[in-house]
Amino acid sequence: MKYSKTDYSTLSPGKKLAVKYFVVAIILFGAQLLFGAIAGAQYLHPGLFYNTLDFNVVRMVHINAMVVWMLYGFIGSVYWLIEDEAQTELVGYTLGNLAFWILTLAVTVVVAVYLLVQIGPGNQLSLWLINEGREYIEAPRWADIGIVICMLIFFYNVSATFMKGRWTGIAGVLVLDLVALAGLYLAGMFYTPNISIDQYWWWVIHLWIEATWEVLVGCIMAWALMHLLGTPRRIVQTWLYIEVALMFGPGILGLGHHYFWIGTPEYWLTIGGFFSALEPIPLVAMVVHAVYDAGKHDFKNRNHPAMAWLIAHAFGNFFGAGVWGFMHTLPQINLYTHGTQWSASHGHLAFFGAYASINIAMWYIAVQKLRGDVPFDSRLPHAWRWKWALALLNIGVLGMTLALLVSGYEQSFIERAIEGSTWAGYFKAQTAKWFVQGMWWRQFFGYATIAGYLLLVWDLATIGKTVSQPASGADKLPAHQPAVSR
Amino acid sequence: MTEPVFAAHIMLATLSGAMIILFGAFYAFFFAWSRLKNSASHALLAYASYAVFAVFTLVLARALHLSGHWHILIGLILLGYWLAPYGVWRLCVSTHAHEKTQATTRTRQTRNYKFH
Amino acid sequence: MNKSPWWASESFWRKTAVWVTAGMLVVLIFLTFDTVKKITAGSQRVPPYSVINKRIYYRLNPKRGFMEPIIGDDAPLFGTRLDEVEAEKLVSSGKMTIQAKNCMNCHTLLGNGAYYAPDLTKAWLDQGWGSELVREQMMVRFLMDPKTNGRGYGTMRRMPNLNITEKEARGIVAFLKWMASIDTNGFPHNFKTIPQEGDQ
Repeated sequence: MKYSKTDYSTLSPGKKLAVKYFVVAIILFGAQLLFGAIAGAQYLHPGLFYNTLDFNVVRMVHINAMVVWMLYGFIGSVYWLIEDEAQTELVGYTLGNLAFWILTLAVTVVVAVYLLVQIGPGNQLSLWLINEGREYIEAPRWADIGIVICMLIFFYNVSATFMKGRWTGIAGVLVLDLVALAGLYLAGMFYTPNISIDQYWWWVIHLWIEATWEVLVGCIMAWALMHLLGTPRRIVQTWLYIEVALMFGPGILGLGHHYFWIGTPEYWLTIGGFFSALEPIPLVAMVVHAVYDAGKHDFKNRNHPAMAWLIAHAFGNFFGAGVWGFMHTLPQINLYTHGTQWSASHGHLAFFGAYASINIAMWYIAVQKLRGDVPFDSRLPHAWRWKWALALLNIGVLGMTLALLVSGYEQSFIERAIEGSTWAGYFKAQTAKWFVQGMWWRQFFGYATIAGYLLLVWDLATIGKTVSQPASGADKLPAHQPAVSR
Repeated sequence: MTEPVFAAHIMLATLSGAMIILFGAFYAFFFAWSRLKNSASHALLAYASYAVFAVFTLVLARALHLSGHWHILIGLILLGYWLAPYGVWRLCVSTHAHEKTQATTRTRQTRNYKFH
Repeated sequence: MNKSPWWASESFWRKTAVWVTAGMLVVLIFLTFDTVKKITAGSQRVPPYSVINKRIYYRLNPKRGFMEPIIGDDAPLFGTRLDEVEAEKLVSSGKMTIQAKNCMNCHTLLGNGAYYAPDLTKAWLDQGWGSELVREQMMVRFLMDPKTNGRGYGTMRRMPNLNITEKEARGIVAFLKWMASIDTNGFPHNFKTIPQEGDQ
């Protein structure tokens, strides 16, 4: 992203930091898609990069890039909104900037080591320096410590800024959530030979992603609704609390669906089954709220791309987490689907719907500001770019999800039901006609997703550049940065 | 005790799972719409959606061999999806009730961002 | 004036959010204490590491409705009996190797990981090893040189050479044998084992 013709230099400190985080997030998003494409291609051509860049390395970069870019996006989003929310300037810009560079350097080194060193001998040193070999938290131990330090700096910056300025409901939820975010990550930093214990604590990461991230998204969404639609604060905050209560009611013990098959006691079948089966009820009931709002309010806003991505977020979350999650969450069916392409199908749509889309919405909010607050509405030139980027990304991910669902069904049926979960059964499923077809379609839609991404980057780099501030008084916004004196 | 679904019913079980969420959402949608527009025909659609939802819930219960304490779950699902939209609707009405009066006391940056 | 009913007020839902979250966390912590106790190595569900000295059967328990591991008579791994400390050391070296070689981003372990290669939960009991007599040696040979001892079952998918030493390979086999003895509530479903003594 270039800053020419934009007023990056006049941004407030928090927003400057936010833009930096957003840029890295966009780059890592690209890396995620690139390595996803390679991993998908390896299913179709197993000889591709054999013994040079094997599937395990490619897939690790694919999922790690995702976790890290979303984290960058969230940190950026919080930095973006915090000054408006606290009505004061960010307290520690220099410190925050330092943390940004440390984190970015660490991420670069980690990825370089992933790609160049890849694996090590079976000793502690490998886990400290190369990779920890545990899904989603592969980052070597030194990087774990670095991440926690950067998160603490972020936490300090956020809470100190709120302390100095104004303490709001969103601030309270956000700060508590960041404590949990840093705390839960610590659960990933240990070694044990006992894989049951290992996976028990590893799934605390579930609370990281399904709880603390969700709450973070809730805070961002709350702010975005005030920002984009002018919804009154009291309403937004009340609903943020309602959301937290409804989500954590069943959500915390919904964690139990990871404890069906890892050696944990049988009572988890009931606890995990019950609570995760009840999890979608609030999600579904929120449809009522959406209809209410749509009916009672006039949804005019000045940033159509951001609003469209927020709507994509609502739908994506509903289908990815709700429909795809509930399809195989009960143990009676999960016994067949767990650890097959079903999980991949669910994962793709859920992560995209819940987290990618809201980040993209924030990028559009930020880029509007960067372009001098010009309206991103029906008068916007080249609007086809953001619309096609939206369409290609959503169709691409949905297509991959459906393709993986076909493969997943075939795999669970042949491998588990017929063949009895043996290695031979596994490979029989992998070569089954419909499984392979699904993999081809996944690849095709993966490329559509990449096309959408490229268009998105192009659009973000150029959107609104040719528009000058509308002359009419109605569109002229106050220079923003309410209480931020510069 | 949990008895896994029969292999032949994997498709049925997952499909009914998806339909439960979808028709639960349709029910919520038409429910809200009928309240919003005071429309009896939408209320009818809402109840029809709930009926389809309930049928799929029972299909799921059969396919997954839900018995014993799992009956409670089926009851909670049927009841939860039925009542939650009522609750959310009432919350909507009550929390948004005085929006007009609040509009004047909006926070500063919200006012700044007000759309046109 | 213009007050919302108490059940729709901001403060009511703030308190509710806090109490619901705290309450559920307390339940989770309580369950965690109980679960960790029940899955510590040496418990009924997760046997001690020295289980690698024993034969491990996998049989249907009609009462529970699924298969469960049963610890049999002596069958020391690689013909050497290890005490608890030595056994833990060997299993641990295998687990460490599995992490350092990033196995989990192709395979699944206890169903978690990636889906590019077979699940390893009951790999020790897999039919693919032919018979119990040759299993240990076959596993070691495969791990050390997967290219020539390929197990792609006619697909082009092969495990890459991960520079696994013989010591590491033995550790991995010990880990896999121990993992097969964990009671996983019948996962993976419908498992068909290597011919076991006493089976038809």
